Amino acid sequence: MRTTPAFRPFAARSRRTIAAILLTFALFSTVSVVLSIRTTSRSQNRATVVEIAARQRTLAERYIDDVLLARAGAQADPALTAELLSSSARVLLDGGTAPAVPGDDDETRLSAATGPVIRHQLEQERRLVSDLTATGSALLAHRPVAAVHLTAHEHVAITDPVLRLRTLAALTSNVSLNAARTIAIRSDRNIHDLVTLQVALGIAGLLASLLLGWALVAATRRQTAHFRSLVTSSTDLVLVFRDGGCRYASQSVTSILGHRDTDMLGNDFAQFVHPDDEPSVRAACAHGDPHEIVFRMSNKFDEWRHLEAHVTDLRNDRRIRGVVLNTRDVTERVELEEELTRQAFHDSLTGLANRALFRDRLDQALARSARSDEAVSVLLVDLDGFKQVNDTLGHDAGDQLLQQVAERFEHAIRPGDTVARFGGDEFALLLEGATEPAAVVVADRLLTSLSEPVSIAGRDLALGASIGVVLHPGGTDKGEESEDLIRHADVAMYAAKEAGRGRYELFRYDMARELGELLGLEHELRLGLQRKEFSVHYQPAIDLSSEAIVGVEALLRWHSPARGDIPPGQFIPIAEATGLIQPLGEFVLREACAQTARWARDGLLPEPFVTWVNLSGKQVSAGGIAKLVRSSLEAAELPPNLLGLEVTETAIVVEGFAGERARAELEELHADGVRIAIDDFGTGFSSLGHLRRFPVDVIKVDQSFVQGVEHNAKDAAITANLASLAHALGLHAVAEGIESEGQLASVRELGCDVGQGFLFARPAAAAKISQVLAERAGRVATESYRASA
Amino acid sequence: MTERDFHISAPKQVPAGDLRLFVRNKGPVNHELILIRLRGRRLPLRSDGLTVNEEALKRSTVAILEAGEPGSARELRVHVAPGRYELLCNMQGHYLGGMRAVLVAR
Repeated sequence: MRTTPAFRPFAARSRRTIAAILLTFALFSTVSVVLSIRTTSRSQNRATVVEIAARQRTLAERYIDDVLLARAGAQADPALTAELLSSSARVLLDGGTAPAVPGDDDETRLSAATGPVIRHQLEQERRLVSDLTATGSALLAHRPVAAVHLTAHEHVAITDPVLRLRTLAALTSNVSLNAARTIAIRSDRNIHDLVTLQVALGIAGLLASLLLGWALVAATRRQTAHFRSLVTSSTDLVLVFRDGGCRYASQSVTSILGHRDTDMLGNDFAQFVHPDDEPSVRAACAHGDPHEIVFRMSNKFDEWRHLEAHVTDLRNDRRIRGVVLNTRDVTERVELEEELTRQAFHDSLTGLANRALFRDRLDQALARSARSDEAVSVLLVDLDGFKQVNDTLGHDAGDQLLQQVAERFEHAIRPGDTVARFGGDEFALLLEGATEPAAVVVADRLLTSLSEPVSIAGRDLALGASIGVVLHPGGTDKGEESEDLIRHADVAMYAAKEAGRGRYELFRYDMARELGELLGLEHELRLGLQRKEFSVHYQPAIDLSSEAIVGVEALLRWHSPARGDIPPGQFIPIAEATGLIQPLGEFVLREACAQTARWARDGLLPEPFVTWVNLSGKQVSAGGIAKLVRSSLEAAELPPNLLGLEVTETAIVVEGFAGERARAELEELHADGVRIAIDDFGTGFSSLGHLRRFPVDVIKVDQSFVQGVEHNAKDAAITANLASLAHALGLHAVAEGIESEGQLASVRELGCDVGQGFLFARPAAAAKISQVLAERAGRVATESYRASA
Repeated sequence: MTERDFHISAPKQVPAGDLRLFVRNKGPVNHELILIRLRGRRLPLRSDGLTVNEEALKRSTVAILEAGEPGSARELRVHVAPGRYELLCNMQGHYLGGMRAVLVAR
């Protein structure tokens, strides 16, 4: 089933109306022409009829002459005339070929007479002709004329034969003329009727055409109004340009720009266009090219609006004769794009450029430098101690610190230079046209700017920074890419860190080799974890009074097939920085628990015994350590009191939620029976208050004190104080790193309870420790046996 | 009164005075109607010997109704003094053909 379309284009309606007008004209014209032809044809026929009828009069008079002449014996042919009269009368009535009259007319074709009056008259005429010729014949034949039966009338009372004949001829002649006149009048009337009809047709056709024309005009008006309202109510701004000037602006200009549409006309349009965009707008308006333009126009508040125009060249369209711009306000879109671009190239925390923008600017600077011979310097800055701030004061404080540092850096440079934040606490600076002395001055200025304490969360923090400086001399293109420069600055920065932080280093090519090793290590660390290159070694802890083994410290070992044994001091910081410390820490914990459980099952463990596992600050502050420890204990079926956790001072003094959570988790574990030790005691910030509130069993005196205890009075005093402090709090003091008998004697004298170090045993694989434990257990068993014996 | 080819049917006598004559043409051709007061026995003819000499009878002519078409019906108002009158159609040959009638007004 066909459905009626909802919208009928106006153009189709107009076409139908025009077709109707043309059809009306054609119809009326055809009717008019047909009628004219018919009437003309009839008129021609009637003219001939009139002629023949009029001829009958002459023939009737000639007939009388012929009869009288013939009767007098003269040369005449009344019979021929009679025949002509009779046949003509017949043809006039019924149609046919009228005979030619010698010396006068030719033969003429006639159609039968129409109309009752004319036919009656012609019938009467024929009867009269018949009466006339019959009377003529009687006269010629010398028969009594009165005896001739008359058909046309019954009241002819004339007895004189000639007068009777003449009267009949006169009647024939009169009736013929009467018929001719009637036909002529009829013809005139027909022509008059035709004229009237044609006038009527003309008027009717004109009226019909006017009506249709009016309908067409109305439809066109509706169409125009329709499109006008479409254009005026459209949110798009429609502009038409001709000869360089604006010829039309739709009313939406008011809603878009606040101007009146008349303000746009002529050359006034140009005053609203942004000067930078004017050439492209002029080109589009003049030639219809380019087809799409985005340009700016000022609104009535003198703000720039971004407009996007679709340009259509309708100069050859005679209805428009101009270039049409269908224009939309895309300001919001453009601003959003600019914002997205800004976000894509800026660091959201500090508002500084990000790495991508920095690289872009560096690329441009290098290109300019190749032309201008001017040097380019890149400084890479890493804040010292920022991780500690983040860990102790929380991330909010860290963020605030970064923002303040960013501000200070921005003040320390020239307006044309670029400061960027690469992420974390790493900043980069691009100094164009800066030679080595100038770059060094800036590096110094940065360090100075940081030396002034930053006030964060009620605390004044002084920060240092390690700065790597790299110089690109400019001029000849050395083929150095921006990434090369950044990497070199990175190398120099690492060198500054290695050299003791709080300083800057200028890049040298020999630095790169060292850095390569450093960076390679992270990659290998990940691979090593996958390839299970890690193992746990154990270092026994000895009771200093009885020299019995009272525990072991589980230590992570990494044997790389490529590099051999890699010391924890090298890879642990990398593992912490990269987050790999989490899986590594879990590995150590599970492995140590499983091994201790095996020793316990094998009956190798003395009483008391604790296996100590180190937890990194990150592991503790990340949360979930209680769950991990419990699951490890459960998996190994190890009693909690056989496990001890060593945490650093900084890990338990962290403020904020992470610190609270870490302390709560450690307290839970302690309540389960797990032992807690403070590792590297004496090197951090921990206060006695913390120590008192926190459930600690053991404090481990850092080996830096232990190793100086023999000859350094300060170290000895600290060690003694730490031991007595531990005892005052009911804790054990463990001395780490005992390497000589002298150290052993000193720590024993200074009051430490337990010792660890190469003097007793180096860290060793589980099998070796099993062996030692078994030997000790055997010796104890033997001694017990001896004692009992 | 009725006209035909070629005859006039009319009353023989009418009252003198104002008359309204209703004239119908029932013949196929045109006919006129002329009312002439008779002074003698016969009306004079023109030189053609066929039509009445109207010019000579001007003073006697009471009324003339011009030629009427076949089927026409007309009214003729006349004032007739007592006397003899003749009604006739003076178209060519009609009078001699029989279109005449004597009317007496009393």
